[in-house]
Amino acid sequence: MKMIALGSEAAIYDAGDCIIKRRIKKNYRIGEIDSSLRRSRTLREFKILSKCYSAGFKVPKPLSVSDSTYTIKMEKISGLQLDSCFDIDFIERISREIAGIHKLGVIHGDLTTANMIAEGKEVYIIDFGLGYFSLKPEDRASDLFLMKNALISRHPKKAAEAHRLLLKAYEKSMGKEFKEIETHLKDIEKRRRYHESS
Amino acid sequence: MYILGIESTAHTFGVGIVKDGEVIANQRDTLKPEKGGIIPREAAAHHYSLAPEILSKALNEAGLSLKEIDMFAFSQGPGILSPLKVGYQVAAFLGSKFGKKVVGVNHCIGHLEIARLATGLEDPVMLYVSGGNTQVITFQEGRYRVFGETQDIGIGNLIDKIGRRVGLSFPAGPKIEEYAKKGRKYIKMPYSIKGMDVSFSGLETFISRIIKNEKIEDIAYSLQETAFSMLIEASERAMAYCSKSSLVITGGVAANSRLNEMGERMCQQRGADFRRIPMEFSGDNGAMIAYAGYLMRDQRAKDIMPKPYFRTDSVDIGYR
Repeated sequence: MKMIALGSEAAIYDAGDCIIKRRIKKNYRIGEIDSSLRRSRTLREFKILSKCYSAGFKVPKPLSVSDSTYTIKMEKISGLQLDSCFDIDFIERISREIAGIHKLGVIHGDLTTANMIAEGKEVYIIDFGLGYFSLKPEDRASDLFLMKNALISRHPKKAAEAHRLLLKAYEKSMGKEFKEIETHLKDIEKRRRYHESS
Repeated sequence: MYILGIESTAHTFGVGIVKDGEVIANQRDTLKPEKGGIIPREAAAHHYSLAPEILSKALNEAGLSLKEIDMFAFSQGPGILSPLKVGYQVAAFLGSKFGKKVVGVNHCIGHLEIARLATGLEDPVMLYVSGGNTQVITFQEGRYRVFGETQDIGIGNLIDKIGRRVGLSFPAGPKIEEYAKKGRKYIKMPYSIKGMDVSFSGLETFISRIIKNEKIEDIAYSLQETAFSMLIEASERAMAYCSKSSLVITGGVAANSRLNEMGERMCQQRGADFRRIPMEFSGDNGAMIAYAGYLMRDQRAKDIMPKPYFRTDSVDIGYR
């Protein structure tokens, strides 16, 4: 089994016909915190993947889970990590996927272009490691906020345009639920510290 | 070239002097309220009354007189307006009296630059943890950008709030750290991280509910383990995300040895570099302002009014 990526919390292995994601032990935190985080995140991620996949969204197909070895087996997706080939043209796809999983009651919790894979014109969302179930406008807004920050920090030159288009397409998908989400989004931005305008 | 820097964003009034980028003086005094948190007016009064003394101590340490200073730098923000004004007024007055340039320095960038100088790390991720500030910052495309931060209160603030509830005086950090060393039982506490952002208000609420039923040693231990794990996880995510291979921890809470130990272990595990910052440069200090001022010496004179909400990522870093 070949390790193909070592993220901040998990190692990803290529097992031939599938991908194995194993959450690794972190030496800096005490055992109680470490195992409880690894266990709950593994189980939750599997549940989220299953829900999104069976609803037809572009996520890796989950195959099996083990909470004793903290591993998830999932289908392989070929393609490029989106942060290396990001382009404004992808925004509508991204927005559609985000709105779709939100409607399903899933919050990703770590939306960045590094957690997306471009395969042709399709965009797959991966790594639901910090995901959770919620229908709250506040949580949906916090996902949008993360995405906005990721765009600014990772693709500063295209960020403003990309964010504008993302919100526009997201609003279209969410319909009248959008108003409240937008209010929360503005609120979160205000809550973060130090705004030149305030 | 001699640059004198003044720090006054919160409790600490500090004066530092650098000679061609080398720190030759660093003096400060920190207001320690007997009870409760910081009162802006009292911090300002503290700074006004101690400014002359700290200023002359720094000049003595450097063996200089005021007229030999080539430029005055001050901490322009973020911070509390009343104490911020003290640094501004002193710098603006000295600048006009001696006909020298005055530059405003972003306080967080001051922390970052002195951390780079003190550790020799070229391009680290910096975890900046103090009373009011909790940010994960690193350099990307011409600016210091904030990758993660607290969505509510600062980590130091959380520790002080808990400390106050059990009757500890400000700052509660060192005493909480002592208690934590004697803690044996881990009490499961809310662990809240969203992407690279953290949130501490859930922890505060949780602890205020159990504070009467548990031993302070166990609470302190569990609080540190939970909150610091969140901070180190956010830092590691930023390192992975931005492909950076070193970490520094700065700000008042960087004095905590458990937090440093966790940062060190995280870096060890991922083959990254971790270096500690000497205490004199981790808390608020004037040397960091003087040094950042030195780096920015060629920038055009800009608006130097205090900016309580000065964002780290609003400054173009022309010298890197």
